Amino acid sequence: MTYRISVDTGGTFTDVVVSDSAGTFTIGKSLTTPNRIFEGMRSAIAHAAEHLGVALEDLLRETSLLIYGTTRATNAIVTKSAARTALLTTAGFPDVLVLKEGGKFNPHDFSQDYPHPYIPRRHTFEIEERIDSEGQTVIPLNVAEARKTIAGLGEQGFEAIAVCFLWSIANPAHELQVGSLIEEVLPGVPYTLSHQLIPVVREYRRASATAIDASLKPLMQAHLRDLENDLRLAGYQGEILVSTAAGGCSSIDGLIEKPIYTVGSGPAMAPVAAINYSRLERMGEDVIVCDTGGTTFDVGVVRDGHLTFSRDTWLGPRYTGDLLGISAVDMRSIGAGGGSIAWIDDGGLMRVGPMSAGSVPGPACYGQGGTRPTVSDAAVVLGYFDPDYFLGGRMQLDVEAARRAVNEVAVQIGLSVEETAFRILSLASDLMVRAIGDVTINEGVNPRESTIVAGGGAAGVNIMLIAKELGCRNVVLPNSASALSAAGMQFAHIVAEEAQSLVMPSNRFDSERVNEVLDRLDEKLHAFRRRLPGRGDAYTIERFGEARYLGQIWELDTPLATERFAGNGDVPAYLDAFHDVHERVFAVRDANSPIETVSWKARLMVALSEPLKPSPPAEVRAAKASATNRPCFFGDSTPAEVPIFKAEDLVRGSRIEGPAIIEETTTTLVVYPEMAVSISGNGHYLLEIA
Amino acid sequence: MTNTTEADFDPYMTAIIANRIDGIIREMTNTLLRAARSGVINGARDFSCSICTGDNRLLASAEGLPIHIFGSHMQTKAMCDFAGDELREGDCYLHNDPYSGNTHAGDHTYLVPVFVDGEHLFTAVAKAHQADIGNALPTTYMAGAKDQYAEGALIFPAVRIQKDYQMVEDVVRMCRSRIRVPDQWYGDFLAGIGSARIAERRLKELCAKYGKDQIKAFVRHWFAYSEQRMVQAIRNLPRVTLRNSGAHDPFGDLLPDGIPLNVSIDIDPDEAMIEIDLTDNVDNVECGFNESEACTSASTITGIFNALDTSVPRNSGSFRRIRLRLRDGCVAGRPQFPHSCSVATTNIADRLVNIVQSAFAELGDGWGLAEGGLGMGAGCAVVSGKDHRVDNAAYVNQLFLANAGGPGSPLADGWITYGLPVAAGLMYRDSVEIDELKHPIAIRFLRLMPGTGGAGKYRGAPAMEVAYGPKERPMEVIWPCDGTVYAPKGVRGGHDGLRCQHWKVGANGQEEELPNIAVLTVRKDEYVKGNQAGGGGYGDPLERDPRRVLTDVLERYETRDRARDIYGVVFSGADAEAMKVDDAATRARRSELRSKRAA
Repeated sequence: MTYRISVDTGGTFTDVVVSDSAGTFTIGKSLTTPNRIFEGMRSAIAHAAEHLGVALEDLLRETSLLIYGTTRATNAIVTKSAARTALLTTAGFPDVLVLKEGGKFNPHDFSQDYPHPYIPRRHTFEIEERIDSEGQTVIPLNVAEARKTIAGLGEQGFEAIAVCFLWSIANPAHELQVGSLIEEVLPGVPYTLSHQLIPVVREYRRASATAIDASLKPLMQAHLRDLENDLRLAGYQGEILVSTAAGGCSSIDGLIEKPIYTVGSGPAMAPVAAINYSRLERMGEDVIVCDTGGTTFDVGVVRDGHLTFSRDTWLGPRYTGDLLGISAVDMRSIGAGGGSIAWIDDGGLMRVGPMSAGSVPGPACYGQGGTRPTVSDAAVVLGYFDPDYFLGGRMQLDVEAARRAVNEVAVQIGLSVEETAFRILSLASDLMVRAIGDVTINEGVNPRESTIVAGGGAAGVNIMLIAKELGCRNVVLPNSASALSAAGMQFAHIVAEEAQSLVMPSNRFDSERVNEVLDRLDEKLHAFRRRLPGRGDAYTIERFGEARYLGQIWELDTPLATERFAGNGDVPAYLDAFHDVHERVFAVRDANSPIETVSWKARLMVALSEPLKPSPPAEVRAAKASATNRPCFFGDSTPAEVPIFKAEDLVRGSRIEGPAIIEETTTTLVVYPEMAVSISGNGHYLLEIA
Repeated sequence: MTNTTEADFDPYMTAIIANRIDGIIREMTNTLLRAARSGVINGARDFSCSICTGDNRLLASAEGLPIHIFGSHMQTKAMCDFAGDELREGDCYLHNDPYSGNTHAGDHTYLVPVFVDGEHLFTAVAKAHQADIGNALPTTYMAGAKDQYAEGALIFPAVRIQKDYQMVEDVVRMCRSRIRVPDQWYGDFLAGIGSARIAERRLKELCAKYGKDQIKAFVRHWFAYSEQRMVQAIRNLPRVTLRNSGAHDPFGDLLPDGIPLNVSIDIDPDEAMIEIDLTDNVDNVECGFNESEACTSASTITGIFNALDTSVPRNSGSFRRIRLRLRDGCVAGRPQFPHSCSVATTNIADRLVNIVQSAFAELGDGWGLAEGGLGMGAGCAVVSGKDHRVDNAAYVNQLFLANAGGPGSPLADGWITYGLPVAAGLMYRDSVEIDELKHPIAIRFLRLMPGTGGAGKYRGAPAMEVAYGPKERPMEVIWPCDGTVYAPKGVRGGHDGLRCQHWKVGANGQEEELPNIAVLTVRKDEYVKGNQAGGGGYGDPLERDPRRVLTDVLERYETRDRARDIYGVVFSGADAEAMKVDDAATRARRSELRSKRAA
């Protein structure tokens, strides 16, 4: 038997998925142990081993690949515990990180201070040098002064250095020189050069990514090495890979070099899981993935079988947080989850959020002192949760507390507690529908023609309502829904990406120069590939231009149809591809406009596993009648007697018509009236939306 | 107590449909932002989207710029009046006439009437500031224009540009023949129409889903709800009449003392009404600084909203609680044709926002705001010329490199990327690299200036300075700055923000100070440099939390000298990492400064 283990260490729980050689998944969970990640990981693996009926030691010994997903970097940024980092900028432009790109939400709100930059102004040092937009040296690097500044950084105890000069992407000479100076003057101090990490135009996003990356280097190097040691000491001999924000995984060495790619890597795995489940169920290549946790709702899309990427991922709030800048899997997060609080404002309007009861005190039904009505409380009032079997019986729910909380809103709008609860849940669902709208619109994806794959512990409560509002007919709730990110890692490829900026207008297209850039990208990717132990043959490389109409400033990823431009004859097909993408995303096509490609990108994918093989379809038949009923409410003031199913009561092919409740140990699925659910031949829930 | 809520108000359905409408405006905004061509739109986000009702009331505007949206309903009314029975599904109208509801001619507005079962239910409004509109000079801000004829722009008082969803090519040809860099204009034009069309499609879907009757009920309820929120907000105010005044900078020999401005604000909490009287102001001036009616209203209403609960929806429902008294032929009222309103969206408008929001500071600590930094100087100039890098192709665009600093408030320091009172931080800033890529421009520096925000318990944001010149061929540089003579004022003991100041630096390094309103040609090896204004401070600097002063000094927003002399804060430890507030010395220093003041 050969196993493969994936581990997703979240803020609260560590999820583990173990797959055996037949491709069967076993889930293990444990509390995350932030001080020594391995302890929580070991408990979660042990938990899965217990289900499998093997000893932990045997499981580890028989495992060939372990994929690790970590929130260590994200947490370090949020808690401001990353390394003491200096930023070196072009003289005259010290405030790149302060000024960001502008923008703000409410024009009338003056109650907030302007945010502090990721690296304080006093840790920012100006270096005399300047390259212009054509790559010419306008002011040569003042080497003597730069050397002095760098020596000073050593004396002031800086642990990492970020270097971001204007137009280093057009001519990297000065950044490279400063890199050599750092190695010479402060050997061993980690640093990041902006043109190497993220060769894109726009100084703020490049500087922000560079600063974040450099600040993570000391910490992530130690973290990943420690984890590797712990695993080896526990007897694990197989390969270790780490999941990344690029929607794949990479080697420990690769991520010690570019630790920023571990930021947001957990959510980035959800779409990977989603597309695989959609394919498995033969539900197509356009997928919306929704991951509902206790405090956030994450949503992303897969279009035409491809993950979608964005360079606009913010750590913290948009505008006031810090921009990640790298091309990361586009998962948007809104503050809506089970903990969102419902209230009536002074104009009499019903609101849900943005305030949340969080995990402390949590919803009123948790009985930890929360009194405000939350979405979870609404679900309790509606009878959707068994108070004695929540999280498989691990938590007792306080129904009376939930009713009292919801009643606070009910009296204000003159409805019964149950009618009010249903409206709270529906309004929360509607906010999620809008969040999905924002993402699908951005990608030109039609929800009606897409499949929803739902995950997260709280997904089952309202996913059918959401799907109905979106007009989605295909909805899958995988049996690994509660560990969607860890499941995604099981399907992940090794992914590495390289990009280089070269501005190329379509009316003066120089195929040779573009090919030279593509050659360099390939070289770098192949060098990376050759370092992967025992791999190398099963790979693909996708190539893109980041392009726009002349004069626009936001680029669209445009796929290259060919590996190289064999002369200018290959150019029209590429330009047509851009027009198509633009029309899909913005509903406008300007066929006569020149197109400008700003940078070129290549993505290497080395397959780690075969796609899942679908089991034969199961014969669909009504599930065996349930032994228990419970009164549940679906918008009316009178309850319906609703059959309650336990997961173990159901077999492949079982079909249940709503209203019904299906209780799993980690999630609850509400089947609404006039809707239905069946279990596919592969063991996943297929929801039928009315 | 007035309760505007109606008997059939549904707190739930109203919330649901409001959420959907908000989503539609976000989609409009995203489309326009990302598909547009000129930097002023796609880089700076100088545009706004809104939805009006078929009977011309502003329904919703999401994150639009207040100066743009608060008058949208006047433009849809112009469309209905002009088109009359000819208004049809499939139409789209271009509107930029400041005499029939637009802000200024530089804002092109795309109006799409939305028909449901033959009934005109909504109008989708997308408004975008243009890089060029064919004015006599390559700028959309003609400060020196004697009248609208001297501006020279094409004026579109709700002119049909699409019929049956097909372009009226005659108009496109007119624009292409007059507007500089016509391809850039055309790209923006397509993006603007696309944005309004997307709203049309989505609004029709919304009506199909919920039914026309339910949507109509929603509209009624949403206005009632918004009005109710405004009623609540005004009831929290005392009964008082606030008076405030200010002035726009002088303009050469034409306006040697500038333009004085007066406002009187009458708050009646019992009736839940605010009346703003602007009639005590001078007549129209013979240059581009006159306010259009849309800008007068929008800027004053912005000032009011800045002083109230920030979550009150901004639409015709809440506006019902604000009464404006304006005078015909007045510089800050309704203009008399053919006076020029070319610069209506910024200069006087910025002053109006400032004097209204700062008037509320008279109510006591915790009320109102200081004056925000203002003036569009070199950092926001319109630059144009020929680009030697691309066969001398023409370029024209407004830069948004440097921002004025925001005002101190009762709770927070000024917002650094505030921009202008009419923009309030919403606009994006240019990337130095993008500006250098798009124009043959060399930017020499861009940075914050320590010690330039108006001191206060909550200080204004510091000023920003910038320097740039052309790379090869001469560059026309035009800006209509304010705040060079009259500084943004502090309130409640807060200090004024730094004034704007600009120079032209010759090839030989010689510096020549420039007037506030500049039209100049800059040649190779020459450059312009200068700063935008800092924000005014709120409250007495001696009451500022010394720890905030420490952070300011460490982070170089403030100087150690100003900490000692103005804030009365003394530190121990010389080196940045060891510096601490010396509490005893600070107390002593502060009481010393207080007694000096009393003397």
